[in-house]
Amino acid sequence: MVYDGILIGLVVGFIRAGWKSGLIALGNIRIKGGWVFPLLLIVQFGLFYLQDYVSFFARFNSYFYMLVYVAGLSLLYVNRSYKGINLLFIGVFLNFLVMLVNGGRMPVSLEAASVLDPHFIEMLKNGDVLYKHILLDSSTRLPFLGDIIPLGPPYPRRQAISIGDVIMNIGIFFYITSQMSSQKTHEKQPRTEAA
Amino acid sequence: MKQLKAIAVILKTPSYLYVVLLSLMGSLLLLSYFLPVGIAISNDRWITIYAMTAGVVLLDYFMFQLPPEGHRQSMDSTIFLATVFVYGVEPALLTLAISTFFIVFNHKDTKWWKHFLNLAMYTFMIVGANYIYLRFGGETGTFETSFLPAFIVSLAAYFCINVLLIGTYYFLVYKGRLVEILRMFIKEVLFAYLSILLLSMILVILLIYTSLFGLFLFLIIATLLSHVFKQLFLMYHEINDKANKDQRTGLYNHSYLEEKLDDFIKTYREDGNVFSFAMLDLDDFKKYNDLYGHPQGDKLLSFVGSIIKAECEPFGFVCARYGGEEFAVIMPAYGKNEARKFINQLRKTVNNSPFEGVEILPHGCVSFSAGVMEMNADTYEKSQLVGLSDRAMYISKSKGKNTVTIYGEQTYLPQKFEHEINELEQQIRVFLSKDVYTFKHSKRVFSYAVDMAEKLGLNEEERRTLILGALIHDIGKLEIPREVLTKRAKLSKEEWELVKQHVTFGKEFLLASGTYSDLVPLVELHHERYDGTGYPHGLKGTEIPKLARLLCIIDSFDAMTTERPYQRTRTFEEAVEEIQACSGSQFDPELAVPFIAYVNHRIEQDDIPEEIIQQLREQQEREGA
Repeated sequence: MVYDGILIGLVVGFIRAGWKSGLIALGNIRIKGGWVFPLLLIVQFGLFYLQDYVSFFARFNSYFYMLVYVAGLSLLYVNRSYKGINLLFIGVFLNFLVMLVNGGRMPVSLEAASVLDPHFIEMLKNGDVLYKHILLDSSTRLPFLGDIIPLGPPYPRRQAISIGDVIMNIGIFFYITSQMSSQKTHEKQPRTEAA
Repeated sequence: MKQLKAIAVILKTPSYLYVVLLSLMGSLLLLSYFLPVGIAISNDRWITIYAMTAGVVLLDYFMFQLPPEGHRQSMDSTIFLATVFVYGVEPALLTLAISTFFIVFNHKDTKWWKHFLNLAMYTFMIVGANYIYLRFGGETGTFETSFLPAFIVSLAAYFCINVLLIGTYYFLVYKGRLVEILRMFIKEVLFAYLSILLLSMILVILLIYTSLFGLFLFLIIATLLSHVFKQLFLMYHEINDKANKDQRTGLYNHSYLEEKLDDFIKTYREDGNVFSFAMLDLDDFKKYNDLYGHPQGDKLLSFVGSIIKAECEPFGFVCARYGGEEFAVIMPAYGKNEARKFINQLRKTVNNSPFEGVEILPHGCVSFSAGVMEMNADTYEKSQLVGLSDRAMYISKSKGKNTVTIYGEQTYLPQKFEHEINELEQQIRVFLSKDVYTFKHSKRVFSYAVDMAEKLGLNEEERRTLILGALIHDIGKLEIPREVLTKRAKLSKEEWELVKQHVTFGKEFLLASGTYSDLVPLVELHHERYDGTGYPHGLKGTEIPKLARLLCIIDSFDAMTTERPYQRTRTFEEAVEEIQACSGSQFDPELAVPFIAYVNHRIEQDDIPEEIIQQLREQQEREGA
């Protein structure tokens, strides 16, 4: 779901800024501590991979994810002056919050999950260790922040998402479109051409 | 301490207290629906609430702006009402609470308590609408045409609560005038609420039959419409600006001013709202234009225009370029004296604004003459208002320019001898290089004489003699050496005798010139005293012509109230006392009375030339040191 906002943002951004200056604007994007984001992504994949082999990671993985979230949130906070980042922060925080109060896992409602692969639903029902999800039931805290929104046709993807995801994506969308069409990039353009 | 003070202010001001109480009660009402925390809302319902919230935030962002005045109409009420009708009051309140959170982000410049107040008011409106809807047989979640009365009554309740809550606030702020406030309200929002009712019913039907997809469609249409309206609004304003603004100065143009004047005259007649009107005319603009060319003159015009605009805008005055180098200002709620003060302040600001090449102008700076007039019952037409202000403005011109005159307060100067005034003014201009004091003194005495001629109701001939005589009365000082005139120490006996001679020199000057020989008595005899101890002839009482006696008072008054090397400056009040004390000895007691009345009137009006105030201040500083 995280990628949807980026994709739509890029498409709209290119339409508004044009192909060339849009690319230049993208090249000029500066994020404080930006290098940490890919690192966090790699750590996440690493954890996901390791949990199949090392039982230690399988048991405590959810807490590692929480740490990754805290790192991500603090990075966003540092960059909060950019347009859209505050929404992104709120979205990530809401997801973080609901996972925190539910043992580090994101609750997924059965109704919302019905749009997904039946295999996945089986795994949820059996309580199998799924990389970071858990079935939403009456014991779930803050259920309304969980993955309760089913996405399906006419939307091109099938997915169960949370309100945090939605806000996050709106934030990403605003961030990318504003970066791609900001006045600053128009000023920078001639200098880049001269160089 | 600061907080305590703020609280005290809030408790004392009814409107503040009202805002605080309303906000508190509204939020308590809101909380009462969700406390204790166990709210049982299904996940499905949450999705709906999220969608509705998104709708409200979107509609808040895409407000409808309608020409001409740009009333911003948000359609969020449509969504609140539809939510109440389809899902019940709790989802509606949750939608309200969450959307308020995001709207606060959207409108960072709005004060936080306004959001709070809005939240409280919407709570009351939603709860009230829900209550009425259920009472009148409406059912949540379905749509039947038999619910129609319930819809209408419920919306009426929503509307009434809104009007009541906001109306009370304005009632407290503007103290009374309830009927007027209500009328204005109903006129402005009734139509909007009608469309909100219809749209909310459409949304109800969409939601019931197509669920959130209906909301999606609705929002797309609303967003597109808002975009179209915005384009229309922008277009309207662009064209409006072109039609109403003067391109050179950025001020409004002549026809817009006339339109506005009509509006103001109308509200004056209907509601008694006073306003004042001022005509401003740049001094010696032609001279500037001739010397530097029209492009540079245009620059000066737009420069002055920008000053006027900057000074008037904070007060909400309408300022326009009336034509050529003439400007006009409408000052709502200002009486003539306040208006004169404002325009006078504006005049000083203009004087103090440096601009290329203005040193060649007679005042050495950009200046204007202005006429001010307050709207009154006798003025029935805007052309009259413009005409009379214009006349007052010409009086300012003839009194030496760079002044502000209130129409009716000051004299009307016969245009017949205007060119004579100009001619004599050229004569005394010689003093500019020789003795600036005498130049300024002559202009001031002239200005007092203009006023006194009006006050005494002199006939045309006398008026001319007095005014011209006042202007030229010290012309004989041309013969006196510069060192004597500007000497700061006490004059020796010989020097004093020489100074006294200026009346005789003046007489000779006039006789030689021929045309102005009828002014000789004033020039020669303005130092004669009523008790016969004056010079040059020691005439007594009525042996001295009346106008010379009057000029003697005016001349002495100005000498007292301005800085002379050999005496202390007096205030207007002190000078009045002095004249009173000397009336009968130095001054004609009969003529002193109207003059004292005239000066007292000016003191009351706070209409004292600022160069005199300036001198007094300097003197006080010196004495203090």
